[in-house]
Amino acid sequence: MRFRRSMRRSGFLALAAFCVLFSAVPARGEDQTASLENRLAKEELLLAKTPSLYFIVYLKSKMIALRSRGMTLQEWKVQSVHLWGDAPPLAALMLDKKSTLFPPKRAKIQPAAKEEEAAAFELEALELKDMPSRFTLFLSGGIQVFIRPKAGGFFPRLGNLGHLLVWNLWLPLKNLSFELKKKPFAAIDIKLEKKEDGQAMYWALPDGVKGLVFPL
Amino acid sequence: MNKKKTIRISLLVLAAVLVLLEAVAIIVAWPRPAAGMAPGTVQNNQKAAAKLKAETAALDKKIGALAPKALFIVIDSARNTLTLETGKEVLLQAVVSCGSGSILEEPGGKRKWIFDTPRGEFQVKSKVVDPTWVKPDWAFIEEGKEIPKKREERFEAGVLGDYALGFGDGYFIHGTLYSRLLGRSVTHGCVRVGDKDLKAIYQAASIGTKIYIY
Repeated sequence: MRFRRSMRRSGFLALAAFCVLFSAVPARGEDQTASLENRLAKEELLLAKTPSLYFIVYLKSKMIALRSRGMTLQEWKVQSVHLWGDAPPLAALMLDKKSTLFPPKRAKIQPAAKEEEAAAFELEALELKDMPSRFTLFLSGGIQVFIRPKAGGFFPRLGNLGHLLVWNLWLPLKNLSFELKKKPFAAIDIKLEKKEDGQAMYWALPDGVKGLVFPL
Repeated sequence: MNKKKTIRISLLVLAAVLVLLEAVAIIVAWPRPAAGMAPGTVQNNQKAAAKLKAETAALDKKIGALAPKALFIVIDSARNTLTLETGKEVLLQAVVSCGSGSILEEPGGKRKWIFDTPRGEFQVKSKVVDPTWVKPDWAFIEEGKEIPKKREERFEAGVLGDYALGFGDGYFIHGTLYSRLLGRSVTHGCVRVGDKDLKAIYQAASIGTKIYIY
């Protein structure tokens, strides 16, 4: 009887100690979030101080923002995100180049030979509809961001099938080779909700633009 | 028969090696957490967390302070739209024409122009009523004409509309004779606006008004 009572007492004490400890220490996740948000703010401040545009990819929040001076100019909603390899560092990354199967071509203006020709001349425009919706962003530090739209129709589905093969078979092997060479490698697969969002993103992110990849 | 068996076994071994290699590659490529997400990198300390949060709030305030306080202009060169806003409310939305992205090369290949509207943050540097276009070299090359030696020969009145707002490097927000082309990317880099909207923008914007183009 006494043994049972002492057991009950010690159990209660253990529970009380656990509760006190748990309330005193914030959850590790909360700490990590605070730390990451702090680093994001520090890095964004550096980018926002310049007159250039910059982008932020929010991986967990599934959103990409184009900003200037801390102001969001454009936002694109992301349907799904997948990653391979190292998590991208939370530091300013530069867009080295964009790669796509059929890059949009700029029209070349032929100088008019005669004045009548000049009067009849019409500009050929490179417009949003000419932009690809499926492309890869090569960021500094060996980070590749694959942008693709939600598939609808035969060809987009075929494209996504090809992407799945590349993503699940080729990229892990590429990561392995980079690992053996001790080079950094990270791949991010971003599926957008709308095809037009991909086209607008291709337009809005010129080579050389800087940005951040935020894990939350 | 033995040869067939050897080939079959070799193929099976090769397939097994490939599957194994792919499995190893997938395990190695499995996403690793960001530096700050790794366990043990953050102090489990309420005070430290509160300090971090306060610092983040101060940083966010600093970022917020960089945004324009007064009225500003946002131009979406992809959708050919111009928005006049204060941050809290949109005062005007206009359909415009931005750069065509076309290329012009001088015969002989000495110079080359890419007709893009520049992107980034700019500000209104000049405001002109009844502007006269001082035609640059490319305008003459495009028309197949000789580049004039006298500056006066470059002047062309009545093509830029009633008003023009310069934002540097020869780029202007101005009017157009081709209002049917508004909404299309057809300019040499300037931003063309319809008459009514141009008047409103001219009246609202002042020297120093920020322009954000993307």
